[in-house]
Amino acid sequence: MTAAASRTLSMERDLRLDFFRGLALFCIFIDHLPNNVLAEFTLQSLMFSDAAEVFILISGYAAGMVYGRVLERQGFVVAGVRIYQRVWQLYVAHVFLFMIYMAMVAYTVDALNNALYAEEFGAANFLDQPGLALVNALLLQFQPAFMDILPLYIGLLAVLPLVLAGFRFSALTMLIISFTLWLMVQLDSRIALPTYPGPDGVWYFNPLAWQALFLFGAWLGWRNIHGGVSWLSYRWLFWLAAGLSLAGFLIRFNWTLHGFYDPIPVPISSKLLWPFLSKTDLGLLRFVNVLAAALLISWLIRPRARFLSSPAAWPFLICGRNSLYIFCLGILLSIVGHLVLNEFFGGIAMQFAVSVAGIAIMIAVAALLEWLGAAQDASGGSALGAPTASRGARG
Amino acid sequence: MIPLSLHYVVVAVAVAIGLIAEPVGALADQECSVPERFYTFEPPLEKTPKALAGGRRVVIVALGGASSAGRAAGGLERAWPARLGSVLSERFPSARTKVVNLAVARQTAREATERLEREVLALKPTLVIWETGTMEAVRGIDVDEFRGTVQAGIDKIRAAGAEVVLMNMQFSRATDAVIHFEPYLIALRELADTNDVPLFRRYGIMRHWAESGSLDLRAEDQDKRRQVAARLYDCIGQALADFVTRGDAAVKPTPGSETER
Repeated sequence: MTAAASRTLSMERDLRLDFFRGLALFCIFIDHLPNNVLAEFTLQSLMFSDAAEVFILISGYAAGMVYGRVLERQGFVVAGVRIYQRVWQLYVAHVFLFMIYMAMVAYTVDALNNALYAEEFGAANFLDQPGLALVNALLLQFQPAFMDILPLYIGLLAVLPLVLAGFRFSALTMLIISFTLWLMVQLDSRIALPTYPGPDGVWYFNPLAWQALFLFGAWLGWRNIHGGVSWLSYRWLFWLAAGLSLAGFLIRFNWTLHGFYDPIPVPISSKLLWPFLSKTDLGLLRFVNVLAAALLISWLIRPRARFLSSPAAWPFLICGRNSLYIFCLGILLSIVGHLVLNEFFGGIAMQFAVSVAGIAIMIAVAALLEWLGAAQDASGGSALGAPTASRGARG
Repeated sequence: MIPLSLHYVVVAVAVAIGLIAEPVGALADQECSVPERFYTFEPPLEKTPKALAGGRRVVIVALGGASSAGRAAGGLERAWPARLGSVLSERFPSARTKVVNLAVARQTAREATERLEREVLALKPTLVIWETGTMEAVRGIDVDEFRGTVQAGIDKIRAAGAEVVLMNMQFSRATDAVIHFEPYLIALRELADTNDVPLFRRYGIMRHWAESGSLDLRAEDQDKRRQVAARLYDCIGQALADFVTRGDAAVKPTPGSETER
């Protein structure tokens, strides 16, 4: 891609996508630190959905738009190959994380073998049959701590070529199939993918449910290159989304406050809403709340709103723009942060310090990737090899 | 002055030649005390403290896994249910207190609920202390299913007229690095909250003990590990005795108490 073309592409870029994806990435990192007080201030305390929904929706939207365009211009094969290049990168990251996990288990197995932790030792039992565990990790069937998000993302991207082809054929059919599958999971939570070593283990993020959010996002992104979806601008829909977001905020934030200070009354008990709040199966309220919030944001903030080009927004933008790398980095940093906080404890100050340090590393790496990308564009893209080809299409 | 400094010398020499073991087994009682913040907002029990104070028959059933069965410390008599029983008998000598330990290693919540009717409720318990969640986290069982199972169990126990205390998982650096406890800890927190059932936050309490250095959870040789386990179960038994008997203790609210699970 030439420098000029790349610049045109970035001119069209919807900065809101980058900004909110960056925000979601920071939240995912903070939420993953153990015992972290800051996790009480992320998206999950303001709405039923959390950063995972935001990330998957935006990723679906961006992927639908970028690869949809490639599909239109260069055909199915090129789009498919580009998507699978992404899948491959995620897969390599997954295997890398698995190596780290294996190293942690190998390192702690002696401590785990303490009779005090007879049951917990089950988690390290797979070392009895490392070959089997390895094969299952390669098949995405082994998803221990922190290794549950990438398999979902890999699975969703892997079916994207077929989905995009399906959109071309009949978008309505695709959406009906997708929502029917989601609905089936809601009605019977046994519709799930098993995990190793079992028994009864399931994927923490059920891809059969989460596909609906990703696909809906991809459809919106795909529609966007064909002039958008007209009914999204209906005024009543805006008010509906605003009402739902507000209701979600009031109920969820009430729970957050109650968590902080128990005597604060809870008019709507979470128990009533449990059937609709499943994270594993993307419960109805989580699904609706993220869509409502997205619609609200898209109304209230214009694609090139001034604050999006302010220095304060820049860290979010660059992280969101390099989401694939920063996403994987964030998971790695969560693992490191986990170890640090459990080794040194240190209370709120330490939680704050680890959170800030992790986010600073994410920003620094994103800045480095930006700089590298700019250098590659300036040199015509050939000097540093293949990755340039996908620069415009960071889905 | 002289005897005091002599005392120091004796201690120093004794430590130097290894006569005095590291203070793991010989901790002062206040070192396994539990900060107020772990109790403050847990609803107190009603029937159990009354029955104890009134000198009646009190049957407490402990449900759970290996960490409740106590083998790490040498057997049932050193497990926390036994420790809880002896503390309660000391404090309430007139009550006929019996703590029945029905913990089975590697038991899931589902398996525990299947035993409720015949083995637990048949004993006509005053209180059921249910330690759960570890197997689910290790195996990656669906969190919603886990919550549903425990909810059904709570309903059943309460319908039989017994009180319930939930207990969450154990903490250690090693387990925390490789097992994803968080969703299951949250599920137990929600279950306790919405059912108005007190949750004994063993995970947070053990984390606190590890942090304050009162429990060396990283002990390496077998004997020392056994000592640590015995000490831990003893501490938990004592803390639980405080926890289940605190009837109308004054509630002193401290904000931010629930971020530690």
